[in-house]
Amino acid sequence: MKQLTSESIRQQPSVSRRQFIKTVSVGASGFGLGLSLPACSSITSSNDSVEGAWQPNAWLRFDASGRVVFTLDRVEMGQGTYTGFATLLAEELEIAPEQIQVVFAGVDKVYRNARIGIQATGESNSLAINWEPLRRLGASARQMFVAAASQTLQVPEASLKAEQAKVVHAASGRTLEYRELIKLAAKQTVPEQPELKSPKDYRYIGKPSQRLDSSAKVLGQATFGIDVQHENMRYAVVRRSPYIGGRLLDYQRDGLAPGVQVIEIESGVALVADSYYLARTAADALDVRWQKDDSTPESNQAIFDYYAQEADKQPGELVREQGDVEAALQAEPEGKVLEFEYRAPFLAHATMEPMNCVAHVREGRADIWTGTQAPDVARVAVAKVTEVSLSDVHVHGQFLGGGFGRRLTQDFVAEAAEISEKSGHPIKLVWSREDDMQNDWYRPASLHRLKASLDDAGNIKAWQHQVVCPEIFDWYVWDAAPALYPSAPKFMYGMLARTGLLTEGGALTPKDRSAFEGADSLPYDCEHIAVRHVKADAGVPISYWRSVGHSHNAFVTEAFMDELAHAAGQDSYQFKRDKLASSPRLKAVLDLAAQKGNWGKPDSAKRFQGIAAHKSFHSYVAQMVELELENQQIKVKKVVCAVDCGVVVNPDIVRMQMESGIVFALTAALYGDIQIQDGAVLQSNFHDYQMLRMNESPEIEVHIVDSQEAPSGVGEPGVPPLAPALAGALFKATGKRFRSTPFSLA
Amino acid sequence: MKFELNGQTVTVDVDPNMPLLWVLRDELGMTGTKFGCGKGLCGACTVHFNGQAIRSCVTPLAAVLDQQITTIEGLAEGEQLHPVQQAWVDNNVPQCGYCQPGQIMSASALLSTNPAPDDEAIDLAMSGNICRCGTYPRIRQAIKDAAHSMKHNVQAASDLAYEVKV
Repeated sequence: MKQLTSESIRQQPSVSRRQFIKTVSVGASGFGLGLSLPACSSITSSNDSVEGAWQPNAWLRFDASGRVVFTLDRVEMGQGTYTGFATLLAEELEIAPEQIQVVFAGVDKVYRNARIGIQATGESNSLAINWEPLRRLGASARQMFVAAASQTLQVPEASLKAEQAKVVHAASGRTLEYRELIKLAAKQTVPEQPELKSPKDYRYIGKPSQRLDSSAKVLGQATFGIDVQHENMRYAVVRRSPYIGGRLLDYQRDGLAPGVQVIEIESGVALVADSYYLARTAADALDVRWQKDDSTPESNQAIFDYYAQEADKQPGELVREQGDVEAALQAEPEGKVLEFEYRAPFLAHATMEPMNCVAHVREGRADIWTGTQAPDVARVAVAKVTEVSLSDVHVHGQFLGGGFGRRLTQDFVAEAAEISEKSGHPIKLVWSREDDMQNDWYRPASLHRLKASLDDAGNIKAWQHQVVCPEIFDWYVWDAAPALYPSAPKFMYGMLARTGLLTEGGALTPKDRSAFEGADSLPYDCEHIAVRHVKADAGVPISYWRSVGHSHNAFVTEAFMDELAHAAGQDSYQFKRDKLASSPRLKAVLDLAAQKGNWGKPDSAKRFQGIAAHKSFHSYVAQMVELELENQQIKVKKVVCAVDCGVVVNPDIVRMQMESGIVFALTAALYGDIQIQDGAVLQSNFHDYQMLRMNESPEIEVHIVDSQEAPSGVGEPGVPPLAPALAGALFKATGKRFRSTPFSLA
Repeated sequence: MKFELNGQTVTVDVDPNMPLLWVLRDELGMTGTKFGCGKGLCGACTVHFNGQAIRSCVTPLAAVLDQQITTIEGLAEGEQLHPVQQAWVDNNVPQCGYCQPGQIMSASALLSTNPAPDDEAIDLAMSGNICRCGTYPRIRQAIKDAAHSMKHNVQAASDLAYEVKV
């Protein structure tokens, strides 16, 4: 199979560049040098308050009526930014979080994700990055209200206290509400170093409070992209090639139902009608013919054969090195080296809300309404397929009915925009579940070759890991690179992307670690380590899937550790914990999970336990899985999870995200497998791409480490440890090793 | 063609084969009921048909003419949340929230016929509703809380100092 490039497969890959600024892990209070913080902590004062309002910066606004409006620039897809960010602001501003009105940010450079470069929500870094800046914002505004009250009441600031959206003068009992102080507060000198509260005074931070978006969501009032309604909008459904990278041959142009428009677009044939039902009916009835490309990958088998060939051809790029693995392994006698091959399949994101977008494109302006994890990349996608200039594209973000990384890619936005411009109408594009399943940008499949040797005491002497996997950046750069240069003319977009690819790993463009992250960071004591990455891309569209490289590398490394433990005649948990001298926080969560889960002492002889620990996105998570076998079926009964994510803003949200990651990972471990057959994705809906349901959902216990370290993320870290912990339990239950997911006893 | 929607008669003039889901969302602008799969596999489109939970994506309009349909929008009584909705809020159930209207409609239908469901009954009634965010343990607890509050006719406690243990 020839080496394929993403460009040759898709002319319009709506992918984006992930400018990953290297993060430096530092102590409790701050960030490493060289990282730019978001600007939300810097505000300006003004002598001109428009209509009695005060807008300190692009995130915060006080209306004349006293309403506090906060602009949320990290999207809400269930992981809790809506609540978390408002909580941080509320704490220092001295106002109840429920009093804050949250609106979703449009596109602006100031809203860029400081660690990623583009305005993306991902990498579980939202709260970690904004932990300090948002509090400083609240504190600055609070101090300015106090200063304003001091002037009004003619009393010293020290005699005043801010609480519950007002300033109180205890001595006299006089109070002034914030809304009465707005104009004067706006004129105050901005404090250089606003004073942050001491943790002992926290009202909201650290408390398990109610999510702020719950009510709207239980009432059915939260607006998702798919719910947006635009006057005069028409509905579009697209027929796309069933083949990966296939080409349109022809389609029947006549015989369409009255009122149905057919429009050819980049990705296929669009049917436009006055309702989704009519558009879908017309689309299903349309006779369309497609042709496979030369580059269309034929099947999973062909893909893994290709991976194996590439692995044989070259050892790959060295991404972690310690000692001399080759020499160490060669010195071993025959039979003392353990060597296994592991595999991980393509996985779909399967957000509950299928892809969709409302687009209104006309001369000189485009408006887009959708749930997106990267609105600036969405603008690029629109600019590429329409006549509209980038700066004339306005993105109106909505609640996301699930992201998991899928909504980083803006292909559905490009489609809606192209259809709108060509049809001359506002368009609501809705993907069916089948469209969504078969036109995903999947979690990449990967092949792993592991080799290790032990000494007689059970120490790991040598560890060699070859990861064969494509690079997501190759697919994402096309729309993301231009997003970083919003004033670049459109004709430069391709060049910007190519430059991004050429400079990857250099000073200009950080290295794409998506294939080997979690493998290169092996935490265990070992004299000789070599981790290598062989880039092999079969041409299947790929993107970031919740926990990315950690999703396959944690499975492979932790499961292989279990195999080594067994070879050493040792208990998995002991074997691992004895080798974590360099990673005390990981060891601590492993210990906590084992302790709370009663490792080694399952409730009954029918129960089998497995345990795994993994660090991802700066957080440490360990999980112990307990299962039973019932009628040759795997029944996961309980998962005990220990998490260290530094300082906790809302413990209930931390719990929710661990529960979420566990169910998500368990679904993948038991059922996740996107199969390609005859050049097309086989799976199409939930009957053949099964989801974990209530009846199979285990009991979940979450234990949070009490930590003063800087807060780190929880959106993704709950995913990686589950599959290997389950594999370990399965070995105990069946005596069989599972070296690929999904696990099945059939 | 008409049917009763949340206590009011509505009249529509569309293809009687149009699934109720699209009549609700596209014709009537009631977007609380969600589209997840179009094949009755995920439960996001669950509404009540004469009090029973049905999947509106596979129920044609023709089947509901002159019948009573309740959607998520019709569950609360003005400002007063239905006990199931209240229990959802108290247990911090929703994450992305997209599947939750369907979950709530399935749960409220269950409780209307089985006021004290055990785990098996909950599994049976709720396994048709997929949640991609993994809120199942909290849904289970919320159903039990709602059952309790409905039995004792009290507001479910808003105290969130609890351990999630299901």
